[in-house]
Amino acid sequence: MKNFHVAIAGGGVIGSAIAWELSKYELDVVVFEMGSDVASGSSKANSGVIHSGINSATSSLKARFCVEGNKILQSLADEMGFQLQWIGKYVIAKNHDERKELERLKKVGDANGVFKLKIVEGGEVNEPNVSCHSALWVPTAGITSPYEFTIALAENAAINNVKILLETEVKNIEKNKDGFLIKTNNGEFHSKLLVNAAGLNCRNIVSMLEEPDFQIYPCRGEYLVLDKNYNSLVKSMIYPVPPKELGVLGVHITPTIEGNILLGPSAEFVDDAKDKKTTKEMMENLLKEAKEIIPTIPDKAVINAYSGIRCKLASPEEGGWADYRIENSKLTPGLINLLGIESPGLTAAPAIAKEVARMISQSIDLKTKDKFIPAKKKRKRFYGLSEKEQANLIKQDERWGRIICRCEQITEKEVIDALSNPLGAKTLSSVKYRCRAGMGRCQGGFCTQHIVRIMEEKFNMNVKDIKLKSPDTNLFYGRTRGARND
Amino acid sequence: MTKEKEITCIVCPVGCKILVKTDGKQIKDIDGNKCKKGIDYAQSEALDPRRMLTTSVLVNGGKWPLVSVKSSKPIPKDKVFQVLKEIKKTKIEAPIKSGQKIIKNVSNIDIDILATRTIEKL
Amino acid sequence: MVELGEQEMTNQTVDVAVIGGGPAGLAAAISAHEHGAKNVVVLDRNSWLGGILPQCIHDGFGVEETGKSMTGPEYAEMYIEMAEKQGITFMRETMVLHFDKNRKITAINKNGLHEINARSIVLAMGCREKTRWNIMIPGDRPSGIYTAGVAQAFINLYNIMPGKNVVILGSGDVGLIMARRLKFEGANVLGVVEILPYASGLPRNVVQCLDDYDIPIFLNHTITSINGRERLREITIAQVDKNMNPILDTEKHIKCDTLLLSLGLIPENEITKNADIKIDEITGGPVVNQNLETTLDGVYACGNCLQVYDTVDMLALDSRRAGKNASNHTTDRRIKNELEIIPGAGVRYVVPQKVNKAGITQLNFRAERPREKSTLHVIANGEDILKKKLPWVNPANMIKVDVDFTTEVLESGKSLEVIIDD
Repeated sequence: MKNFHVAIAGGGVIGSAIAWELSKYELDVVVFEMGSDVASGSSKANSGVIHSGINSATSSLKARFCVEGNKILQSLADEMGFQLQWIGKYVIAKNHDERKELERLKKVGDANGVFKLKIVEGGEVNEPNVSCHSALWVPTAGITSPYEFTIALAENAAINNVKILLETEVKNIEKNKDGFLIKTNNGEFHSKLLVNAAGLNCRNIVSMLEEPDFQIYPCRGEYLVLDKNYNSLVKSMIYPVPPKELGVLGVHITPTIEGNILLGPSAEFVDDAKDKKTTKEMMENLLKEAKEIIPTIPDKAVINAYSGIRCKLASPEEGGWADYRIENSKLTPGLINLLGIESPGLTAAPAIAKEVARMISQSIDLKTKDKFIPAKKKRKRFYGLSEKEQANLIKQDERWGRIICRCEQITEKEVIDALSNPLGAKTLSSVKYRCRAGMGRCQGGFCTQHIVRIMEEKFNMNVKDIKLKSPDTNLFYGRTRGARND
Repeated sequence: MTKEKEITCIVCPVGCKILVKTDGKQIKDIDGNKCKKGIDYAQSEALDPRRMLTTSVLVNGGKWPLVSVKSSKPIPKDKVFQVLKEIKKTKIEAPIKSGQKIIKNVSNIDIDILATRTIEKL
Repeated sequence: MVELGEQEMTNQTVDVAVIGGGPAGLAAAISAHEHGAKNVVVLDRNSWLGGILPQCIHDGFGVEETGKSMTGPEYAEMYIEMAEKQGITFMRETMVLHFDKNRKITAINKNGLHEINARSIVLAMGCREKTRWNIMIPGDRPSGIYTAGVAQAFINLYNIMPGKNVVILGSGDVGLIMARRLKFEGANVLGVVEILPYASGLPRNVVQCLDDYDIPIFLNHTITSINGRERLREITIAQVDKNMNPILDTEKHIKCDTLLLSLGLIPENEITKNADIKIDEITGGPVVNQNLETTLDGVYACGNCLQVYDTVDMLALDSRRAGKNASNHTTDRRIKNELEIIPGAGVRYVVPQKVNKAGITQLNFRAERPREKSTLHVIANGEDILKKKLPWVNPANMIKVDVDFTTEVLESGKSLEVIIDD
C-alpha cells in the first residue's frame, strides 16, 4: 500500500491549487478525484470571474482570501500560462435608490482593501449598448477560464510528482495513530494528513470520520452561453445591483476569456447536490432579463446552457450566506476541512492553498524541492498566430495543418496534445477543456467524429470506453459490425 | 374474401391515402387517389410490396471499415430482416469497386447485394 | 503551383475556386470547366469528396437528373469521376480560413498555408445541423444525444453504434431515414416526436421508414425534458397547443438511452460573413442575384450554403448555373437597375433576392405554411407580372417559377413582391 504525507479528497480548483502548492515541497501527495478529469464539479461550471472583494463581508475569510488571491493571480497566470484579463466590472443602478446600494458596495470594497473603485454617472459608462442611471466601476475584477486554470494547476502538480488519481472515489476512511487509511474504488492508501477539498461532497468525507456539525445547502446556478458573434455587445462585466424583488434574478452579463458571453447565474436552492438540470423557467428568465439590459440580444444567440451547484453552508431561511470554514477538525486530528467554498472560490483558491500549506507545516516539516519543474508555456493555439507562424508550425509537424474543429479552428496537433495530458484524462470533455474543440456554435457537429477517429487510431481506445465527460457517460453502444458485437 | 389495405401513395409529396380492396391475388377496387399516377403504385404495393434495401457490409483491410451496399432490385418487404441478417454476417476484402457483387443471390431470392462505394486498400 | 520559399506559403492563381467538394461544389466545378474555365480548383475540408453524400447510403438521389435512383455514395462517385475526367484539381483535407474582397483565399492543409487568387469563387460549404440549444431543451446534459447527421456518420462510415433504445426528435427526412437505419442495425426505435400536426419529410419516407416498421410518430408533441445524469435515461414529451406551447398534463415519459435530433439545417457561412458579404437572415445564405452572384463581385454561391434544398437534383441544377456564371464572370457587373425581390404575405423567402438583368429568371421560394388551392402573385409596382394557381403548397417543398423580367419592370421600380394568397 502506498504511503503519503498528504491525501487530498477532491480535484477541483481548490484541491488542485493545494496539490500544486504542496508540489513545491518534498512531500508525497495524492489527490482522489471521482470524476474523469479535474474540475469536474463546480470548478468548471461557474462564471470564471476573478472577484475584487467588494461582494464579501469585511473581515470574513471570503474577503480575506479573495483579496489575497486577486493580488497574486496575475503573476500566477504569467508563471503558469493560463489566460487572465482584467476587463473590469460595472455594477449598474437603474435609479437613485439603487445608486445608494452602489455607495454601500463601494464602502465595503474600500474596507476590504479593494483599489480604484469609482462611482460614475450613466452617461460616463463606457458601454454603448448598456444604459443605466449610474454605475460602480470595479477595475480589479477579471475573467479567466476556470477549467484552464484548474487544469494548469493540476497538470503542473502531476509533473512535480503529485499522484492525481482520476475516477477514484473515496469510499471509506479509518483514522489510526499514524494517520488515515483511505479506501477507494482504486485501492487502499495511507496518509498522515487528509485535506477535505471535496466540494459538494465535503460533508460525505467528514461523515466517514465524525458526526458533521454542519449541513450543506446546494444552490444551483444556470447559465446561457452566447455565440462569439455577439461579443462586441459588452467589453466589461455588467452586474445589476442585487435586486430586492422576489423572482428577479439580477442576471449578470459576463464576457468569457474565449470571446463568448455568459448570462447568469440564477440562484435556486435544490434538494439534490447532483441536480444540475437547466430549466425552461430559468433559461427564459435569463434571456428576458439580459434583454432588459441589452435589448439587441437575439434568441438565436444562445449556443449552450449549463449549470453549476454552489456549496452553501447556510440555508435560505438563514439568509444563504455563510463564511468559508477552513479549519483543522477538532474531533479528528489530521483532517483539514475546507467547507462551503463557493464564490469567490476561484479567486481565493491560490490564497487558500497557501493557508492550507501553512496549516500542514504545523504537522510536517515543509522542505522546498530543489528541482521543481515549472509549468511550460501554455498549450499552443493555432488560431490567432500569424500566417508565418502557422506555416512554420505546419512545416515542423503536418498535424498542425489539419483542422478538426471548424468553429474554433482547432488543429489535429492540438487535439492530440490535449489527449496526451499528464493526468491521463481522455474524455471528449477533457479534449474540449484543454483545446476548445467542440465549444463552438455547431457544438461538436463537425469535430466529434474526427476526435473519436483520433482516439481510436492514435490512442487505441476502444469505442465502448469513449466517454463524454464522467465515468458513466459512454458515447457508444459498440460496433455495428464485427467480432465484438453483442 | 376481400382484404382492405390503406396505402399512402409516395409518388408525389401530397401523399394521398388510397384504400385498396383485393382478394389477395387481384385488385377489386382502388379509391382515394387524386391522380392516375397513384394507381400503379397502389396496385403493386397492395399485392407485392417491395423495397430497395440499403445497408453496409464489414470490410477487411480497407481505408474505411464499412462499404455501403444496396440490393440489385427491390426485395419483397417480408424478406427484409432475413436478408439483413445474412448481410450482417458477411465480410469483404478491400479493394472494393462500386457496383461489385458482394453477395450473389442473397437469401435465395434471386437478388444480389452490390457495393455502392469504392473502398481502397489500406 | 509556385512556392515562395521565404513566406513558406504556396501561391497560385486559378480561374475558378470552389469552396466545398460536396454535390454543389462538384456540379459547379464541372460546369465551370465545361463553360471554358481552364484552371478550376475544389477545396474540401474532409479527406473524402462528396461532402455529406458518402454517409447517405440510402437511395433516391439523382432521379430527376439521370432517371436512375442512386444511393448517396454512387451519386457522389458519378460526379467525382466526371470532375476527374475534366482535369479539375482537388485539395482535400484543406480548410479555407478566409478570403478577401479581392478573392484571395487563404487555406491550410498538411502541406502548409496556401494562398489562392481566384478570378471567381463559388461558395459551396453546405450547412450544419441545429443543436439542442437552438431550441433550448431543458433537463440534464447526458451522453447519448446526437444530431441525426452525426449519428448517421458513426453508423455508416465508422462502424460505431451510438445506442440501443432510440427516440428521434423531428420528422424531417434525415430523422426518418435514421429511424429506419437504426432499426436495421438492431436498435429499438421507440418513436419520432414531431411538433407539427404532420410529418415534415416526404410521404415516401414516412411509409418506408416508419409505417413499414411500426415506428410510432407523436405528432403535435415536443420534448419538455431530458433526464439522465450520466447516459441518457429518459425523455419527457408533451402535446403542444396551436401556439406550439406544451400542455403540461399531457406529459409522457419514454425510457431511452439515445436521442437523435433532426431539427433542421443552418447554412454554413462563416467565411462568407467574414468577407462582409450580405446575408439574408431568413435563408441564412448570402443575398444573390439571378446569376447566383453574391454582393461581392465575382463570388457566387450555390447548394445548401445558399438555401437548404429538398433534393440533390434541384441543388445540382442551380450549382451548375453558378459554376457556368463563375466561369463567364467579368467585372462589368455594376448594372444600373437592380430590383430587390421581397417575400411578402404567405411567402417565407425568395432566392434570388435581386435581379439586375432582363429575361427569364427562375425564382425559388417556400410558402410560409401549408395551403391548398392558393394563388402566387409576383407584383411589380402594384401590378401582377405573374399570377399562377398552385394546387397545394407546403413549406417543406421548394417551389420554382420562371418569371420574365422585362426592361420596363427593371427600370420601373426598386422592388418586387412575391405573395401567396387564397
